[in-house]
Amino acid sequence: MREKDSWEPKITAFLCNWCSYAGADLAGQSRLEYPPNVRIIRVPCSGRVNPLFVIKSLMQGADGVLISGCHTGDCHYSEGNFYARRRFTILKKLLEYLGIDPRRFQMSWVSASEGEKWARVVKELTEEIKQAGPSRLGDNDRIAGEKK
Amino acid sequence: MTEELRNKAKELLKNKQVELIIGYQRSPDGICAKPCFIDKETDTDLLIWDTYCVYNLSNYLKEYAGRKVGVIAKACDSKSIVVLLQENQLKRQDLFIIGVECRGVVDEKGAGFAQKCKSCLSSNIPIYDYLIKEREQTRKPLEDDDEYEPIRKIEAKVLLERFKFWQQEFKSCIRCYACRQICPLCYCPKCVADQTQPSWFSKAANLTGNFSWNVTRAMHLAGRCIDCGECERACPAGIPLREINKKIEKDIKELFKYQAGANQEQKPFFACFEKSDPEDWIK
Amino acid sequence: MTQKIIAKEELYKQLNSLAKDFEIIGPKDLFNKGFFYERLDSAQELYLGEGFTTEPVKKFFLSPSEWLFNCQYNNGKNSLEELSLPDKKRIIIGVRPCEARGLILLDQVFGSQGYKDEFYLNNRRRTIIIGLACAKPDAACFCTSLAGSPVESRGMDVIIFAKGDEEFILEIVTDKGKEIFGALGQVLNETEKESHALEKEKNKELVIPKIKVPESLCSIFEDAYWQEVSRACLDCGICTFLCPTCHCFDLVDEQRKKLRCYDGCAFADFTVEASGVNPRPTKKERYRQRVFHKFEYFKKNFGENLCVGCGRCIRHCPVKIDIREVVTNIPVTENK
Repeated sequence: MREKDSWEPKITAFLCNWCSYAGADLAGQSRLEYPPNVRIIRVPCSGRVNPLFVIKSLMQGADGVLISGCHTGDCHYSEGNFYARRRFTILKKLLEYLGIDPRRFQMSWVSASEGEKWARVVKELTEEIKQAGPSRLGDNDRIAGEKK
Repeated sequence: MTEELRNKAKELLKNKQVELIIGYQRSPDGICAKPCFIDKETDTDLLIWDTYCVYNLSNYLKEYAGRKVGVIAKACDSKSIVVLLQENQLKRQDLFIIGVECRGVVDEKGAGFAQKCKSCLSSNIPIYDYLIKEREQTRKPLEDDDEYEPIRKIEAKVLLERFKFWQQEFKSCIRCYACRQICPLCYCPKCVADQTQPSWFSKAANLTGNFSWNVTRAMHLAGRCIDCGECERACPAGIPLREINKKIEKDIKELFKYQAGANQEQKPFFACFEKSDPEDWIK
Repeated sequence: MTQKIIAKEELYKQLNSLAKDFEIIGPKDLFNKGFFYERLDSAQELYLGEGFTTEPVKKFFLSPSEWLFNCQYNNGKNSLEELSLPDKKRIIIGVRPCEARGLILLDQVFGSQGYKDEFYLNNRRRTIIIGLACAKPDAACFCTSLAGSPVESRGMDVIIFAKGDEEFILEIVTDKGKEIFGALGQVLNETEKESHALEKEKNKELVIPKIKVPESLCSIFEDAYWQEVSRACLDCGICTFLCPTCHCFDLVDEQRKKLRCYDGCAFADFTVEASGVNPRPTKKERYRQRVFHKFEYFKKNFGENLCVGCGRCIRHCPVKIDIREVVTNIPVTENK
């Protein structure tokens, strides 16, 4: 059963409104092609992203999570991305330590003018998640009595 | 030391410097210790100090906020008081901390000293109002003890092995939340695990729910946990919780040169940043 | 009651052969973590020694978490989808007399009056219980003070008594037990029967009576005593979750399904009402509730204390609160 061939990764992406979301929009405007596997959630700043968003996404079946924000020093709110950087460095290392493939959680700095970078980031990320395979994390919901 | 402790406690209650003293007394089995709450001078003879005094009594301080309380604190307990003060959960002037130089506490599940004591410099008590010094030789931490050795062992495993290891551990979690209740730094009035609108993770004790709970608690303690080890001691399922919290502690020390509970003026870890924080993993 | 002697090997062989029709569950030694009931692939994995399991066997009857039903919303119509109950037959071996008695008490809650809880009752029906008599009670045990015994077989289908390392004495209690174990072992002769009976009496004596439950606790509901004894309590819930008789649960909606999961009076949120008011706002009220439910309310409703004296709450309380001490020292005033 070649089910796996038809599997497409589901990637949740949190994009900061001022830089990354605008960058992704530019990629669209410029008609750049990139894989459609990313579901974008717009947040005001990468600093708004709660580690719980990442955990909940992964546990509910996302094969990968991406957070994208402004380059450090360019944050619309001055420092939001500095806090995000610290927070997610720790989360990244923790998830890897607990056995979650490090490819499944990534971060990028994409500015509003970097449409091409956005396309490239998504292309690479999708390829890496395809290599990593479907996430088994959301499979463990089954407890007594549930029909499969 | 017990004598000195009782006398000091008596004095504090007599002078009305404190309304209540939180300390240790002998437990009903006659061997171990248990927490005790003393508000009468006559009861100070119940206080004991020995190697069975495992508990982190700073956990009880939050309930008595606003009242003048005396508390007995080992080096590890004292660090959690520091973090609570950093986070404005306690007022310094309401506390009278009786620091005690400890020689190590027992490992209740096994034999010998608790794992956390092996690399502890027990005379390094960051905050106290009165210090009871160890009369005999203070036990030195083991010269070559690497407190992060169990962490390194797990880091050395390949990804799939690590995953299987932690899945096996989290399978036994019963979500009793004892780890949260006994932790002095878990003080949220409404814990994220109890929230239903929205529900962040399942209340069911299945693997996904348990994984989410333990990861979330570890993240919420990042940069704050001072390794008192109470969570691991309390866990009825024997999950090696210290090996999760200490992993974060190790990363924070190595990457950011930050250690929790050092002094009251320090800023909490996630409340600050450096321009030079590492970002080599970010695309 | 048939009493037989059986070699460990014979017992294990029988269990392994039953494994194709039954799920075999029993205590496993997880080394520095303790002893836990787990599904076994082979009887070789069993631990039938003196150590007590951390979690009681209750979790196989009242599940720590189970989905009750699904909700569907299709084409503008709501519907409930019943979930099929598990039907695989099970043998649980190694159940202590106190835990088996705990199940009898839970039967009162879930099956005796009014609504009959099918989830629990189904689990009871599909399970055969092979109890293990206690060879060595520990300092936390107090079953004999609460009308229990380390060697009784109430609630079990078969009970086994360890005799040395290689043999067990087996007593068939019910027909269900006879079906699966009736053919095993050799019948005891008179001398063996006598020495077995003596052994049982001796083991009963090993349990130290350490609790004195007052007739009625109502008179001291408002006493300051509860403030004192609950001071060290952490509201952690370990005593509730590990108790063979505690049975409170929470019903939660998750992902269009109804979940039932363990809950307890120890938790602050247990009695929070929709308005936000909590009638048990502090540890004092919650700890008092625990003691009253076990030694007053259940007694009034069902005639027995809701405690079997297993000692788990004492062994595993992180701050060493001993319910025996708490109950015995209750300052009951004389009825005027």
